[in-house]
Amino acid sequence: MTTEYVDAGHAVRHASLSSMVGKAPPVVRGVTYERILNAREREPQNWLTYYGAYDGQRYSPLDQINTENVKRLTPAWAFQCGSVGMHSGASTYSFEAAPIVVDGVMFVSGWDGWVWALDAKTGQELWRYKHAIPYDVSLCCGNVNRGVAVAEGKVFVVTGNAHILALDAETGECVWDKTYGDVRAGESATVAPLVVKDMVIVGSSGGEFGVRGHLDAFKLETGEHVWRCYMIPKPGEPGSETWPSEGEAWARGGANCWVTGTYDPDLNLLYWGTGNPAPDFDGEVREGDNLYTDSVVAVDADSGQIRWHYQYNPHDVWDYDSTMENILFEQGGRKLLAHFDKNGYWYVLDRTNGELVRAAPFVDRITWGEVTPDGKITRKVYPEKEGEPVHFWPGPAGGKEWTHAAYSPRTHLFYAPVQEVGATATRRRREFKESIPYWGAGVEVDIQDMYGYVGAFDPTNGKEAWRWRNEVPMCASVLATGGDLVFAGEPTGEFNALDARTGELLWQFQCGSGHHSSPTTYSVDGRQYIAVPVGFGAWAEGFAPMMLGAPQGDALFVFALPE
Amino acid sequence: MATTGGELSGVMSELGLDRQNKGTLGRLLAHGSLAQAEEGPDGRMHAQIRIPPDELVWEPSILVLPHGGDLELEIFNDDDNTHCAVLPSNGDNQFIWLVNHSRGTASLNLDGPGYYWYGSRTGNDEGRGLTGAIVVLGDAPPEARLDRPEQPRP
Repeated sequence: MTTEYVDAGHAVRHASLSSMVGKAPPVVRGVTYERILNAREREPQNWLTYYGAYDGQRYSPLDQINTENVKRLTPAWAFQCGSVGMHSGASTYSFEAAPIVVDGVMFVSGWDGWVWALDAKTGQELWRYKHAIPYDVSLCCGNVNRGVAVAEGKVFVVTGNAHILALDAETGECVWDKTYGDVRAGESATVAPLVVKDMVIVGSSGGEFGVRGHLDAFKLETGEHVWRCYMIPKPGEPGSETWPSEGEAWARGGANCWVTGTYDPDLNLLYWGTGNPAPDFDGEVREGDNLYTDSVVAVDADSGQIRWHYQYNPHDVWDYDSTMENILFEQGGRKLLAHFDKNGYWYVLDRTNGELVRAAPFVDRITWGEVTPDGKITRKVYPEKEGEPVHFWPGPAGGKEWTHAAYSPRTHLFYAPVQEVGATATRRRREFKESIPYWGAGVEVDIQDMYGYVGAFDPTNGKEAWRWRNEVPMCASVLATGGDLVFAGEPTGEFNALDARTGELLWQFQCGSGHHSSPTTYSVDGRQYIAVPVGFGAWAEGFAPMMLGAPQGDALFVFALPE
Repeated sequence: MATTGGELSGVMSELGLDRQNKGTLGRLLAHGSLAQAEEGPDGRMHAQIRIPPDELVWEPSILVLPHGGDLELEIFNDDDNTHCAVLPSNGDNQFIWLVNHSRGTASLNLDGPGYYWYGSRTGNDEGRGLTGAIVVLGDAPPEARLDRPEQPRP
């Protein structure tokens, strides 16, 4: 018997079978470079750029929620994604973004190519974009994305397969799409883009696969490539003398820029952190300081040229990336920056020239070596002999991972999430092959004898002002507000509000999954909200292996005071 | 006892892992046939996939594209049961409902290289065998590659 086929029609967008609105108000059309320059001062109701402002302070002057009333904070709405079908990093996806908010509309990215526009007051999904990410893409540390940038009517986001996209901020439709990394070489992308002038700037991921890290700038309007700044010099270029003159160690040397930089518009300098050298733990195959790995590089925003650098970890053999934020602040009339490094020390530099002001420890246990206040380094414990296990603190995830510190200009204190976790590395030399992990060691991170805290640190003397101690490491960005509050999530799911002056725990809410994201704050119609993506995962075996079996999640929680 | 690649399909069949409710409950994923998409003069690629009766498998279960780009897919459900497909595509996943003996189409954009899973999201079709792979061959574009000497690959 022959049966006529029933006409099933043409496939439709999956989102069309949901309550998604399909369109967002045109709030991003008027977001210009000038508005981002003055984001905190002129429009504190919004969170216009990754850190809230170019200085990276992760501070909002909003003060409706304060130390007196925070105990009444309650969920206003939640947004969840879940999953359909099989996606890459199925066990390592994590919700790591910093939600951006413009005049009542929130733009936030998820793992695996998701981007959403949400009503910031109600949580209603306005539009969504989903990029198809290959199941077999190389990811060292999870299927994650740290957020979007917005300007001139567009939303900018990178993808796991190393594309930079510009989406129409009203519809979510792709306007332009450029590939800026080679997935066959083990490159990927996870960074939140940074808009500066008429450009969007992004860095690459893949430092565990022996690539050559780079920073790229594209025109906002067209996607035209403006410049690329490699973070490892070629033979003959300045800095190349810090790599072996024979062989191709430089070509596989790492130094990826996988965390968003900060920017000083007066100096026109980007301050971008760079990642570990590769192979991570086998320094013998790459003798020398290995510039510009584990450094802050000051990059001219117009030309992409490196103006100066400060290397936090010359010839790193502990996987101590220095990709983490360099927070800009002023003190005593000096233009400074502060950086909390994986190596357990925090640094204050003169950001006009890279001169060190002070280095000071911010963790309790440092055994890899010692850094004096004036920056002299003594190496003590490191994987040196093949097959010989070596234990050191902090472990390769660092005393602080990529998750961000904050600075309050009200208290003049820095606040950092701290991980007191050690590890054992055993050097195991391996041959380099493109796309294959290139660590040069076997690594096991401690699951016992660990803890964490949020520490408050005084930049005038480098000392700890207070700490709020936790039983497990603190692995999420903190947020400081004008209400003298510091918000900090725990791997066990609690979202906390601490008194910024004392560290006292004032409020707590259990979100059901661990925190590994960057909370932000904004207000709509005069009501202040705190937004925090929740979903534990990523490289948990590195920063909190004792929580590797903890519940995963995919929710965005937004809190406010009762109306 | 280990099995070499060349022997695999025979042993799979012998153990009943290439059909429903034989060796185990369902059919092991991605052990159907393989086909390559055809490329038209405009650079768009075309392929057919079907669901044969009572096998709960996409045929082919592995569809190979020579490079990233646009794929026009023709989908047949020859089965006596209703299924559907959630297909990966840049912009959003594409969804089509496939009642018994139906034919539909889908337009996908994949920028590869890499491979992508798709499946029927009804019941546990995905686990029983209705999960297929679209494999995109090729390299990243020249402008995206690293400025370094050619490096060894596995």
